[in-house]
Amino acid sequence: MDTLTRLSKNLAVRIGIGVVVAVVLVVAPLISSKYVNYQLGLIAVFAVAILGLNIVMGYAGQVSLGQSAFLGLGAYIAAYLVTADLPIPPELVVPVSLVLCAIIPAAVGLVVALAAARLRGLALAMVTIALPIIGIPLAKRFREFTGGSQGTTVSWLRAPDWTEGFLENDQWRYYVVVVIAVLMFVLARNLVRGRMGRAFRIVKENEAVALAMGISPYRYKVMAFTIASLFGGVAGFMYLGIVQYTSPETLSFHTSINMVAAMVIGGSASILGTIFGAIYFVLVPTLANEIDSSLTALISGAILLAVLFLVPGGLVSLPRRIAQVARRLGGRRATATPQNPSDEARTPGTTAPESTEKNKGKRQGQ
Amino acid sequence: MAYFIQLVIEGLATGSIYGALALAIVLVNRATGLINFAQGGMAVLSTFVAYALYHAGAPLALAILGAVVFAFVLGAAIERIIVRPFERGDPDTAVVVTIGLFVLIGGVAAFFFGYEPRQFPSFFGLETLDLGGVFVSVRSLGTIVVLALVVALLQLLFRGTKLGLAMRAVADNPQSASLSGLPVSRLLMIGWGLASVLGVIAGVLVAPQLFVSPGMLDFVLVYALAAAILGGLDSPLGAVVAAWFIGVIENLAGAYIDVIGNDLKIAVPFVVMIIILIVRPQGLFGRKVVVRV
Repeated sequence: MDTLTRLSKNLAVRIGIGVVVAVVLVVAPLISSKYVNYQLGLIAVFAVAILGLNIVMGYAGQVSLGQSAFLGLGAYIAAYLVTADLPIPPELVVPVSLVLCAIIPAAVGLVVALAAARLRGLALAMVTIALPIIGIPLAKRFREFTGGSQGTTVSWLRAPDWTEGFLENDQWRYYVVVVIAVLMFVLARNLVRGRMGRAFRIVKENEAVALAMGISPYRYKVMAFTIASLFGGVAGFMYLGIVQYTSPETLSFHTSINMVAAMVIGGSASILGTIFGAIYFVLVPTLANEIDSSLTALISGAILLAVLFLVPGGLVSLPRRIAQVARRLGGRRATATPQNPSDEARTPGTTAPESTEKNKGKRQGQ
Repeated sequence: MAYFIQLVIEGLATGSIYGALALAIVLVNRATGLINFAQGGMAVLSTFVAYALYHAGAPLALAILGAVVFAFVLGAAIERIIVRPFERGDPDTAVVVTIGLFVLIGGVAAFFFGYEPRQFPSFFGLETLDLGGVFVSVRSLGTIVVLALVVALLQLLFRGTKLGLAMRAVADNPQSASLSGLPVSRLLMIGWGLASVLGVIAGVLVAPQLFVSPGMLDFVLVYALAAAILGGLDSPLGAVVAAWFIGVIENLAGAYIDVIGNDLKIAVPFVVMIIILIVRPQGLFGRKVVVRV
């Protein structure tokens, strides 16, 4: 395990992993079925949405239960723009809608945040949960934009003419969505590693300390929320690209809380964890549905709880967790499940040797 | 005027249902500092138990009593087995545990009873009373009275008994409570059990209207959360008043403001809530939290 950790620090290994991932991302749609491409595209969509959530919740520590509202808003804006007669050249329609899908939700998020960032903790959670709740009846009301409760189906983002013969529509959509997702991830990575990311972390840790350091918690909370809304809107654009359909259901607050769950499952305040979270978000319901379609909710819930019990730090901490458990097993040579996962995640260094000693004592006693 | 009073009473009745669940949320939050998203799911599962008992031939009152006992055991067991290991950890993880429970319990209810809504008999007949031109259903009045009774009993429990005093001590400071010899873990279980009982009261009250189905309380839960936070999370009375306020304002806005109508009326309490919270971030009745540096 130690060699593994050392390897992952090595630059050459990192570049190697990057190249392999890139090759897989490029080749995957060419050899997979339409259905698999659809699922992969959905993972990219929700990865971006959860990434936004992770910035506001994982990094800046502000609970948001309204991310689905921005996802839905982005999807509706995209649906409206690509079907409307815009006075711009047709080849510009898609890029312009992408930009507007980023700007409009971000502006809405900014307005909400200007008011909501005065609140903290659960009051903030409540204000954000209100967004999808208010959004759904509004979407049903403004039928001419949204298609009412039936939703809107759009057929767009077809493979352009120059790709004819070697790219199907689903493959082209996959590539568009994955390119956007990669760009958003690079953006997020630079953001959280830079000045702003450090400011977010100190705001999460202690607002008074942040203030004393000349960092305005209010301003950074508003900023985090706005960025999350922007990511949500872009994810909405991607969602419409992959699914080609949106309805008030897209906004449903269930989607929001499931995204929060997926974020924690993947790993809070972790870029890599966000990807695991998105894979979890898309695949677990599908998987549960394959096992037994009448037990989908039961199995998803059980898997969610099992993951939290086994890896409370999120899937991203899985290698560290395995190393920890392996060290303990090596010490006692017996299989045992950890008694208190949350405590152990906090102090990985100290609990392991201590418990080994305890066990030695026990064995001598026997 | 008669119509107005009718609307207010109907609003109070709906608000009472939100209030019962809001009280459950406040109780859990005071004891363990968590928002329990599974509160609605636990209530639905217990309501299904009442349904099953009733259809097995038990009289309605007995069926509801059985559901109350089941709810208490369910709440206590969930606290002890599933939530306990996460209570001292990262609060985000703990909240996600309750989200997992919410999904899981919904799945259990669906496994046994399916997704089809089922009829549930009302405890208070279907008559309507004529009080000087104001028509009020017995069920609405009954719902309001039940909630008033519940609040009175809770006040009695927390202010007048040793158990209540001990539970308040644990909510206030678990470490000190434990050091003065209180059985903190057992008290936490009792707190969760009581909250679960409040949930099943909401479930049984609302079931004749909404029919019993796994997703029955999803929306009620959101309103209850709004009421709990609007009332200030540490104040049971505040939660109930806020719940009544939400029920009434929703009903009145839907009836009197044309633009809003029936479809947008669910948004009204939330808009009002946002405005109130921005003016008074600690809620209507909450104490201001002073954070130490």
